[in-house]
Amino acid sequence: MSSVAPQARSAGLRYVFPVLAGKLARFATRLRGGGSAFPGYLTNKLAPSLLPTLADQFPYGVVFVLGSNGKTTTTHMVSEALRAHGLTVFTNPTGANLPQGVTSALLADATLTGRVRADVAVLEIDEGYAADLADRLSPSVILSLNVQVDQLYRFYETERVADMMLDASRRAHAHVVVNRDDPYLSKIDESAMRAPVSFFGVAEEIVAASKHGLANAADTRSGNAGTLAREAYSEVRRVQARDIVVRVADADVPVRLPARGLHYAADAAAALAVASRVLGDRFSTEAASTGFSRMAPAYGRGEVIPLRRDPAGEKVEFVMFKNAPSLQMNLDALDETPERVLMAIDEGTPDVSWLYDVDFDALHAVDVVTGEKAYQLALALEHAGVRIGAVEPDMEKAVALMREFPQTAAGRQTWFVNYELMMIGRRLLGHGDQEVARR
Amino acid sequence: MTASVRIAQLYPVELGITGDRGNVRALQVRLERAGVAVDIVRVAPGDAFPEAPDVVIVGNGPLSAMRTVRDDLERHADGIRSFVADGGALLAVGGGAELLSRGVAALDGEYLDGLGVFPADVVRTRERKVGYIVAQSPLGRVIGFEDHASEWTVDDAASAFGRVVSGRGSFALPSGAGRGELVRAGNAFASNVQGPLLPLNPELTVGILQTVAARRGASWQLGAGVEALDGYAAGARAKIEQLVHDKVFNTIQL
Ligand SMILES: [Zn+2]
Repeated sequence: MSSVAPQARSAGLRYVFPVLAGKLARFATRLRGGGSAFPGYLTNKLAPSLLPTLADQFPYGVVFVLGSNGKTTTTHMVSEALRAHGLTVFTNPTGANLPQGVTSALLADATLTGRVRADVAVLEIDEGYAADLADRLSPSVILSLNVQVDQLYRFYETERVADMMLDASRRAHAHVVVNRDDPYLSKIDESAMRAPVSFFGVAEEIVAASKHGLANAADTRSGNAGTLAREAYSEVRRVQARDIVVRVADADVPVRLPARGLHYAADAAAALAVASRVLGDRFSTEAASTGFSRMAPAYGRGEVIPLRRDPAGEKVEFVMFKNAPSLQMNLDALDETPERVLMAIDEGTPDVSWLYDVDFDALHAVDVVTGEKAYQLALALEHAGVRIGAVEPDMEKAVALMREFPQTAAGRQTWFVNYELMMIGRRLLGHGDQEVARR
Repeated sequence: MTASVRIAQLYPVELGITGDRGNVRALQVRLERAGVAVDIVRVAPGDAFPEAPDVVIVGNGPLSAMRTVRDDLERHADGIRSFVADGGALLAVGGGAELLSRGVAALDGEYLDGLGVFPADVVRTRERKVGYIVAQSPLGRVIGFEDHASEWTVDDAASAFGRVVSGRGSFALPSGAGRGELVRAGNAFASNVQGPLLPLNPELTVGILQTVAARRGASWQLGAGVEALDGYAAGARAKIEQLVHDKVFNTIQL
C-alpha cells in the first residue's frame, strides 16, 4: 500500500457552523483559562463526520503514537524528522491525547469549511481511546512504543494496555511499528494486522550494559516472560551520552537526543522507523539527523532554566517522570551523582506504591522533597536509604528553599518532577504560561 | 533457627507489581535499625521453600501471573499452612492474598483453587474499588490505597481484622454492619491495601515484628532510629486521611 494518500477532499460548507461553534467555544474556554475538551465535545456532537473528514485530508496520512512512556517525546521526534523533509506537520499539544482533545486541536487549525492544511498528522493518543480514535481517524501508521507498569489505578492490569495497543494496531492501513524489546509487543500476531509490521529496538549489548535494561513489563501470561526474537528495521547501534547512531534499513543515522537516557534512544529508533515508513523513498538520513538537531528540549525533558531569573547564573535541569520505569531510566542516565536535588510528586500520581520498585542508588541525598505526595515520597526515600534534607509539601516554599542553597560547583541543580509539578516549577521560575505546543 | 531474621518473599517478579518489595523493606529497615540482622530470600518459581522463615511476604499481580505461579505454589502448600498454624507471620496483598484464600472465582467462569490459609472465598467482580482507604484495626488505623475488583467472604468475625472507616474494603463484616478490610488467620494477614501497606502503617509493622520476636523468644528495641520513618509515615497518613473524603477516581470498569 502506498504511503501517499489520495488527493485531499474538500470538506465543504456543511461544517461551517460546527467548526465555528467549536472555535468560539475554544475561544471562550481560553478566556476563562479552562480546559480544552469542551470545544471538541461540542463539535463532535454537532458534526460527528467532521473528524473522519479532517483525517482524510492529510496526503501522508495520520500517524498514531501509543505507549506507556515517551509518547510526547516521540511524537515530537517524528514531527521534527518529517518537517526536516519539508513536510508540514499537524500535531496535538501535549496531553491533548483523548478524543475531545484531539478534536479541539484539529479545530484550532481547521478553516471554517473544515480544512486542515498539513501534509501529515502526528498524534499522541491515549491507549484507552486508541481503537476508538483509529475507527474515526483511519491512521496509516500506528506506533506502539512500550508496555510498562503504569497507571494501574486507571487500567488495572498492564496486559490490558498491551491488548489496547495491539488491538488498535490492526486498524493501521499502511504500517504497524512496534518495539522488538518489549515482551508483549514483540509477540504481535502479524497475521492479524492489515498492514506489515516493522520492529525497532536497541542493540542487545547496549541493553545488557544498562543497569536496569529498558524497564518494559514482563509478560506474565504467555509462559515466556521475555521477548520473541525479531529482526529490527530500525536499531540503536551506538550510544555516547546524547549522541547515538541508529541503523535504519541499511543506513546509519547519527542523532543527537534531546536528553540523556536509553529510553530516549529507543524513542529515536521508533521515530526514525516511522519517518522512514511514512516517507518511503523520500526518507533521507541527513534530513532526519537535521530534524533531531532542531528539536528544542521539550518541557521537563532535559530542559534547563535559570534558578534565580539570572540567565548567566545557576540553572535548574528538569527531569520529568511519571512512573517507576521512567524514573529508573532517568536515574540510570545520570553521569554522576547530582549535587543538589529536588524531588516532587503530587496527586496527578495517586497511587505511588511503585516508588518502592525504584532503585535510588544513583542518589545519595535529596535536598528538598515536595508536592502533595511529599511525605509518601520521603517515606519511600527513607526506606531506600536516601538522605533527605527537608520535606516541604508546598512547591512554592520548596523552590524558595532551593534558591537559598549556595551555588553548586557545576552551576546546576537537578529537579525530578512529575508532569503537573514540572509545569508549576517552570512557572515559579518565571518560565510558564505559554501553551505547551511542540513548535 | 538462624541468628538473622529471615524474610521470604514469594514470586517477587510475578507477584510484585504494586511495590510489594516495600513491605519487605519496611520490616527489614526497622529490624536493622534495632540492630537485628536480616536475611531476605526471594523465592522464584521452581525454588525450594526457604528453611525456617520468620516472615513470609506475597505481593500483588494480575490474574495471568496468579495462573502462572498457582501450580508452583501448591508445592509449598503444606509448608505455608504449617508455618501459619505454628504462629508464623505472613502478609499477602492483592493477587497473592487471593491465592492464599480457599479459591478465586474469575469473571470468565474459571475457578483458581487457593491454599486455604485464610478462611475466606474470593469472587472477582466487574466493579473496581479504587481510591484511598482507612480501616480501624486492633493495630491502629490502617491507611493506604485500594485498587481491586474482588469481593471476599470471610467465615467469622474473628477473621475480620479491620473495619472500614473510609473507602470500600474487601468484604462485608460478618456481623452485618459495614465493611471490613484485612483478613487475619493467626499471625497471617491478607489485604487489598497498597501504598505499600507496611511502610504507611508503622503500628501494623511493629505488631507483626512483635509476633516474630515472641515466636523467637527475642526482645528487640524496635523503637530505635525510626523517628524519620515514623515522622514521614505520619505526614503521609495525615494527607491520605484528608484526601480520602474528597477524591474521586475515574477508572475503566471490568
Ligand atoms: Zn519542535
